[in-house]
Amino acid sequence: MTKTVLIGLDGATFTVLSPFIDGTCPEGVVMPFLAGMISNGFSATLASTAHPLTPPAWTTVSTGRTPGAHGIYDFVRFQDMGDDMYFTLYDARDIQVDTLWQIASRQGKTVTSLNFPMMAPPPEVNGTLIPGFVSWKHLRRNMHPTSLYDRVAAIPGFDPKELSWDFEREGQIGELMEDGELRRWVENHLPRDRQWYNIARHLLDEDNPDLFTLMLDGTDKIQHQAWHILDPKIWDPDTASDDAKEVRRLVVQYFREVDEYISELSTAAGPDAHVIIVSDHGFTGSDYVVRINAYLEELGHLTWRPSDGSEAGKRRDMANFANLDWAHTKAFCPTPSSNGIVIRKQSEKCPNGVPASEYEAFREQLIADLLKLADPESGELVITGVLKREDAFPGPMMEEAPDLVLTLVDHGFVSVRNRAPSVVVRPVPFGTHHPDGIFVMSGPGVRATRGPEMSIVDTAAIMAHSVGLKVPAEFEGRVPPALYDPDWRAENPVRKADPVSEPKVAAPRSGEEASESQKKEMIDQLRALGYIED
Amino acid sequence: MLQSVDIENRLITTIQEFVSDWGVTSEIDSTTTLVADLEFDSIDIIQLFVAIETTFEKRNLGFQDLLIKDGRYVDDLSVREISEFLKAGPIAA
Repeated sequence: MTKTVLIGLDGATFTVLSPFIDGTCPEGVVMPFLAGMISNGFSATLASTAHPLTPPAWTTVSTGRTPGAHGIYDFVRFQDMGDDMYFTLYDARDIQVDTLWQIASRQGKTVTSLNFPMMAPPPEVNGTLIPGFVSWKHLRRNMHPTSLYDRVAAIPGFDPKELSWDFEREGQIGELMEDGELRRWVENHLPRDRQWYNIARHLLDEDNPDLFTLMLDGTDKIQHQAWHILDPKIWDPDTASDDAKEVRRLVVQYFREVDEYISELSTAAGPDAHVIIVSDHGFTGSDYVVRINAYLEELGHLTWRPSDGSEAGKRRDMANFANLDWAHTKAFCPTPSSNGIVIRKQSEKCPNGVPASEYEAFREQLIADLLKLADPESGELVITGVLKREDAFPGPMMEEAPDLVLTLVDHGFVSVRNRAPSVVVRPVPFGTHHPDGIFVMSGPGVRATRGPEMSIVDTAAIMAHSVGLKVPAEFEGRVPPALYDPDWRAENPVRKADPVSEPKVAAPRSGEEASESQKKEMIDQLRALGYIED
Repeated sequence: MLQSVDIENRLITTIQEFVSDWGVTSEIDSTTTLVADLEFDSIDIIQLFVAIETTFEKRNLGFQDLLIKDGRYVDDLSVREISEFLKAGPIAA
């Protein structure tokens, strides 16, 4: 029988859920099952990864490791070619450590993993795996086992186009939409999570895996575009347009359906299963557009690539990747989702980079300059935090991270487009990620209480313990002491395992030379494994 | 070591399997182009490179050298261009 059910709600936040749970919103109680889970179970705020973004945060949920160890920082990774920059997508092969699905599989547990990002191409597991964020065109060969596609295709109502990621549609996130257009956009998003639920229900009923995990990402997409309709502080039905009211009706209906999915899957798993609801990050409203590369140009650190006026050139200018004259760029932000600044170090292929001897001084001055960026209208400083990568992402994969990570005053994502001015106020608040996600758990031995803040890295340790595994020694999180009744915990102690797998050596990607710190890390790891004698 | 003809045959087989659910009816040979003939978009190209790396069991094949010419991303790629690139690169080595 299934021991552990984890349902991920991408971007879920108590800011939105609390009124739906306690009935203080105009629609009354929207999520009665979740309300019951919280009143009868354990709940807490879940602090996300240092940069609260879907790929690194869900990879932390699935690996029990922070980004400095697992190596995923963004949707997009890039290779500096000196005179150009090659952007491509992170994928499962970039994860430098094992996922809990792999660890559990090796120990004879059966698993199901549905719709988690960074899971294509699919790793081999003892069970079923369908990655998220994959276009319908690529679903069949990215399922594990490969026969799974025909199995799920036989489920009544299965529609691969509804189920999968539509890159064109998702690319609209961040665009200002009139309420009528927003209504159509929300309508188009609703069927996807129904598709995932249908598959989830079938696989849970038929396979009863020991560890069952499903991620629903409609929460994130809808909150991004419809934040002004969901934020209890903003939503006012008395002044809303008819289209806005229709959007509100749709998104409330979506949250009702999510509650039904949680209820149905929990009931199907049975009373002996632990049910965990978790988000990768929270949400809030962003008021500013911060054009960070425009500001870096003002500071003299980058030069835009001149437009040739072609259609391809125009598309490139509008893409969410920095489009720069790389021969004259020392520091840049690669993508909006990264909120990161990359400092190019001087090398043979990058002769105009920052010399190693000047790196620290350059970085300190850049931090100071970034913290001065202000809204010209109000004078408000728009960057409130600048983390160095060794502080944000310590670990063997740290050198793959941006040199600096920015936190904006409204937690927004930066823009990398070539527009002026550097800071403008949005006409409508746009949903953006907040570090505070959610954790809710019910089941045998789980205390009925609101607990202290937890870390997202705890989630994998909790899943491992719940499913009956020793918690891998490499896991950076813990099972919080307040989670279980003392008697139940005494009967089911948290056991730590020896390292379950050979640590992967943090080899540089793309055939680049290893840095000195990477070489030291490799040598340390090899020494730990007994491959190098002192 | 793989022979040139093996590389091209395996590449064509990989592409045939890749587009099997797309409703594409075109025959695939060395003259087939990804965008004009098979209606690839940029994500499909990235996914194809993953599939090729899986087929040949090698990573980091340097596809950026195939995709970026004179500072610009190319508009389209033929099977022959990919095949020649693989033959000249680490697959054949």
